[in-house]
Amino acid sequence: MDEKGDGISMLAAIKENRCKRLRNWLWKLLAERFSIEQQWVQDHIANCPKCRGRIARLGRVDAALALLKAEPHSIDLLMRANTQAIGVLKHSLRETAKACKLRRARPESTILERYGKYKRPLFHAAACVAVAVLLKISTFSSAGKFRAGSQKAVEHYYASRAGEDIAGEVFRSHA
Amino acid sequence: MAGRVVSIELVWDFPIPKALEQTQGWVLVAMQHHGRELVNMLWRILGNEQDVCDAYQDTFLSLAHHEYGSKPENVKGYVFRSASNRAISILRHRYLEKRDLSSKLIDKRKAATPAGELDSKYLKESLRAGIARLPDHLRDVVTLHDLGELPYEQVGRMLGITSATARVYRCKAVQLLAAWMRKETA
Repeated sequence: MDEKGDGISMLAAIKENRCKRLRNWLWKLLAERFSIEQQWVQDHIANCPKCRGRIARLGRVDAALALLKAEPHSIDLLMRANTQAIGVLKHSLRETAKACKLRRARPESTILERYGKYKRPLFHAAACVAVAVLLKISTFSSAGKFRAGSQKAVEHYYASRAGEDIAGEVFRSHA
Repeated sequence: MAGRVVSIELVWDFPIPKALEQTQGWVLVAMQHHGRELVNMLWRILGNEQDVCDAYQDTFLSLAHHEYGSKPENVKGYVFRSASNRAISILRHRYLEKRDLSSKLIDKRKAATPAGELDSKYLKESLRAGIARLPDHLRDVVTLHDLGELPYEQVGRMLGITSATARVYRCKAVQLLAAWMRKETA
């Protein structure tokens, strides 16, 4: 009975996976075919006043949202808000060390924001290191290949001129 | 009888207040963890510092009194939704109060010109008015995702919907806002 149940749940999972794959594939196809970057979509927009207007209106909403996000508030707003909120909490909470700390809280930037300005130089440095490592690896490996190839050529030369046993002796002693 | 009174007093004096004290510490922890993001979201919704402080205070007061001081299952979801709802009710109240005044403040003739359309103050105010008018399910997604900067997955979890549904709601909300902002300028 359990095995039968397991089999049914496995079939359902496979079916679900297939559906998910199909859904993802459809989304990808639609996104590729009808994305705004497509030339035919851009041509249509350029010649259709209705679509142009619609896109401009959506753009205005996006612009307004960006303006709301970009508007800064005063630096002590968090401190004031915390102080006001803590003031209405019960006495035992108001007197804790954490509450005192929160009353003095200022918006601190996150690690990502703080070190964001170093992102580009860090990427550049990492890329340089990667290129240097790759160059070194490729230089050493090509030098090794070149050495092995030339040794083989010289061995072959000696073998053809002086005989296999002498060449073997010379190169074995070198090895 | 006297013995019974004493025992009841002991019950009230000793374990309950201590337990409550301990459990209420999470209110401050929540304030520490989500305060910055909450203030940012409230500021974007309201654009007025005193209103931000009021909505913030109400949010944490309601958190502290949630079901007799018990901790909600999803504290972040609770504070964000609660703050967003409070901010929207303040915004609606403000627009109701200033209905006549705002129509005078927003000069439609000025807005119809290209310079007026790009006037940042006008754009922000008309967007805020639009957000206050949106149906609840669409408004929640816009405030939490766009103004609270929460990812769709988190917004979905907070609202009890899938992230795909949250995306659809956001798309519908933007279309509605675009239509309303167009009517205002027309």
